[in-house]
Amino acid sequence: MAGRIIRVLLAGSLVGCAPWVLQAQTKAPTGIKVTQITGLPGVKNKTGGRLLAEGNSLHFSHEQMKVDLPTNSMEDVITGNDSQRFIHGAPGLLLMAAPYGSGRFLSLFRTKMDTLTIKYRDTDGGLHGVIFTMPAGQAEVLKKDLVAKGAHTSAPPEDEASKIPTAKEPKQ
Amino acid sequence: MKRRIAPKTRGFVVVGVALVLAGSAQAQTTTGPVKKLKAAAIKVTMIESNEIKLPAEFQVSLYEDLIQQLQNKRGVPKVYREGDRNADNIADLVVLRTTVTGFKEGSERLRQVTTVAGATSITVHCTFADVSGKTLLEQDIKGNVRFFGGNLRATYDFAKKTAQLALDNFSPNAGS
Repeated sequence: MAGRIIRVLLAGSLVGCAPWVLQAQTKAPTGIKVTQITGLPGVKNKTGGRLLAEGNSLHFSHEQMKVDLPTNSMEDVITGNDSQRFIHGAPGLLLMAAPYGSGRFLSLFRTKMDTLTIKYRDTDGGLHGVIFTMPAGQAEVLKKDLVAKGAHTSAPPEDEASKIPTAKEPKQ
Repeated sequence: MKRRIAPKTRGFVVVGVALVLAGSAQAQTTTGPVKKLKAAAIKVTMIESNEIKLPAEFQVSLYEDLIQQLQNKRGVPKVYREGDRNADNIADLVVLRTTVTGFKEGSERLRQVTTVAGATSITVHCTFADVSGKTLLEQDIKGNVRFFGGNLRATYDFAKKTAQLALDNFSPNAGS
């Protein structure tokens, strides 16, 4: 009797977990997770999305919205560094009001991030600028990729390969 | 009995009256309706920073915020970007040139921890000129972020003030 109950419970849990298992098996979204600070036409400021250099374009995608920037229209690609609160956005703002100065104390904990600034021309020749923020170490890689695909830059990419931390190799 | 006023006191009274009159004259000139200049469109050029080393993200943020704020202000003439070929043949085109003359990059962390320190400020010299290069209006505008927000919020503050300056002084319907 007990064995039967266990079998039923196991079967139930397998059925219940099926959607998550299937979701994990589907293709993971490609590209770097970024936040578009300003500059992309038709995209609201501070919109999160994914950035991917593919073909001769830089693709920004957010849900159903997709924006492409041709790399040959890019006049300047510049990287930089910045930081943000570990807990940012609306929760971070609410935490500022936490009692006994604990909100201020939490503001000391910050995560490093990269900025990628691109100046490009539209089809009428109008100059645009766009700023993305992304996890630290990603911007220089993306910049190299864009320059290889035809983008211009006023600060040629350095040999950062040695500086960028590589993924840890699995222990044998 | 007739009281005599000391010459020193009389001098103070004369200076006081003169100051009051000067103040009222000044008030009349500033509170009167500002005569707007005719501008069919405004072309915004990229922010220059020849003497001040300005991070690229600040330069682009200043430029994009300025264009967004000008486009959002009702009553401001049509806005074109630098290099836009559609602006080439427009009569009464006003070109807005901006040069950064002061920049102090603060710290968001310091602002959040101390509230009073870590402010970011940008001072930009704005010049509105006609196509021939004749200056129509020039002014220094400051953008600050003191309490909340990232450093780039200083560019938003500057852009709002500049858009208001453009609205106060230029109109597509004004007489030239």
